[in-house]
Amino acid sequence: MTIRHMLLAGFAAAIVALAPLGATAGESLDRVMKTKTLTLSSDASYPPQSFLNDKNEMDGFDVDVGREIAKRLGAELKIITPAWEIITAGKWQGRWDISVGSMTPTKERAQVLDFPAVYYYTPAAFAVHKDSKIASLAELDGKTVGVCGGCTYEAYLNKNLVIDAEGAPAFDYKVTPGTIRTYETDTNVFDDLKIGDGKRLDAVLSAQPTIEEAIKSGMPMKLVGGPVFYEPLAVAVDRGDPEFSAKIAEIVTAMHADGTLKTLSEKWYGVDYSTVKK
Amino acid sequence: MLILVERCLEQPLIKRLLLLLLGVAVLFAIDLRGTGIGELLRPALGDPAESGLWGRFSYAVVLAVAIAINVVLVNLLPRRIQTLFVWVELLVLFLAFFWSFDLSYAFIAKRIGFLISQGAFTTIYISLVSSAIACVIALVMALAKMSSNAVSYGFASFYISFFRGLPLLMQIYLIYIGLPQMGFVVDPVPAGIAALSICYGAYLAEIFRAGILGVPRGQREAAAALGLKPGLIMRKIVLPQAMKLIVPPIGNQFIAMLKDSSLVSVVGVWELTFLARTQGRAEFKHLEMLITASLVYWAMSICFEMIQSRIETHYAKGDRR
Repeated sequence: MTIRHMLLAGFAAAIVALAPLGATAGESLDRVMKTKTLTLSSDASYPPQSFLNDKNEMDGFDVDVGREIAKRLGAELKIITPAWEIITAGKWQGRWDISVGSMTPTKERAQVLDFPAVYYYTPAAFAVHKDSKIASLAELDGKTVGVCGGCTYEAYLNKNLVIDAEGAPAFDYKVTPGTIRTYETDTNVFDDLKIGDGKRLDAVLSAQPTIEEAIKSGMPMKLVGGPVFYEPLAVAVDRGDPEFSAKIAEIVTAMHADGTLKTLSEKWYGVDYSTVKK
Repeated sequence: MLILVERCLEQPLIKRLLLLLLGVAVLFAIDLRGTGIGELLRPALGDPAESGLWGRFSYAVVLAVAIAINVVLVNLLPRRIQTLFVWVELLVLFLAFFWSFDLSYAFIAKRIGFLISQGAFTTIYISLVSSAIACVIALVMALAKMSSNAVSYGFASFYISFFRGLPLLMQIYLIYIGLPQMGFVVDPVPAGIAALSICYGAYLAEIFRAGILGVPRGQREAAAALGLKPGLIMRKIVLPQAMKLIVPPIGNQFIAMLKDSSLVSVVGVWELTFLARTQGRAEFKHLEMLITASLVYWAMSICFEMIQSRIETHYAKGDRR
């Protein structure tokens, strides 16, 4: 009897001790203000949005936006690099505070994350091999197109793209591909296109800035046609801290208003993507 | 008639000619027209794409004869140098293969410093710590699985089955994402080390068990007859002899763990594979970095192999006459 009592007491004590650790919601703003550090989670393989520069530090448009947000919060920026699936899965448990990673605000993601503000709109465009004879979007019908799997680009090719964020301009499906091939990420798609025109892929669909950056780095591709749709990309925070979300929303709105986002966009892309074009 | 054919086949020269013909057939099946061989023989046979079946056959014969001459020449060298020579030849072939990718060596030279100082260092650190912890877990589990105590046996067999059965990637995710749900927030590097140790502990436990079972039963019986206690027998008699059987497979697993540590990059640890991938993607030159990282992994494996060889020599002292 004594041992059983002791065991039960032990279990009860453990449950009571662990219960407060489960409640991390609502603490992001306090933690950031107290430690004066904003922890940003970023994908290190996504130039020019976030990548490792020559000095082996994280750099890019998304990183610069994060740095500006941290400055306006009065905090230092700290960057960690977990995998993308971990960031979009939510339940961050305070390991990082914010994600500025060109994330599209979708309904599924909104179940675990909050999207306080859209900070820019990225155009999606088709690209073909440099030696390809394709010169217009109509010629892409029936061809083999490569996209990154699970991205909005795949949904666009499958004609079931739903962008549920306000301010996104309307679009229509201009291309009906013959075969759709999916890859882990954009750079894998470009690699297969690089092998040769028509050898594995005839075309790719991806974010126009990423394609332009690849072309600048020597990938033998060229853009075909103009942007087919604009995707609003938002800052993400963990669910459950409305004050933090409100503060971030306030900061990003201010950055839109005083032209900081426009300056940063022009620095990295040469064009202002922070407001939507019709 | 059949006996004649058999007698013919026993002649070494006939055997070698048949091998050569087999080589020609295989190389004929792989169409070599688009490759460097075709370009090499362009003066003799014209445009590779238009040389047809005769061209394919010629390329196959030329390559097969070249390999044959190579083998004959190597056999003429002194015994000791032959192995070294074969190694050098294969190494040169692989490097030529990489050289044909048209890599940007300036880019590699720029990035390799950080790749080694941060990436290789983190990989070795994680692998060594995980190996040490895994060995401890493995010894405990192996002994538990061989014990007559039902609770120990049940626990050990469940542990080994479960952690060999789950993919290592899942285990890393479970520890990094799952534990915080219960309230223990873990950092990436400890999560990675924990996952690697637990997973490899399960595999190594079976290797330890095999080694211990491989020691002849007579040793245990003789020790018992001398009046030694079971704990002492295990420590002083059985385990030292079991090490001879255990060290080679364990060395195998440690070298495999070196590569598996690359999975820890999903939780954001800046180890070798992560850096190779991200540095490469920064300028869309990932083949350069991946090949460099592969060669660095190979260099680290070679170091592990040399250490393993030393340990094996130490434990084999009892066998020397």
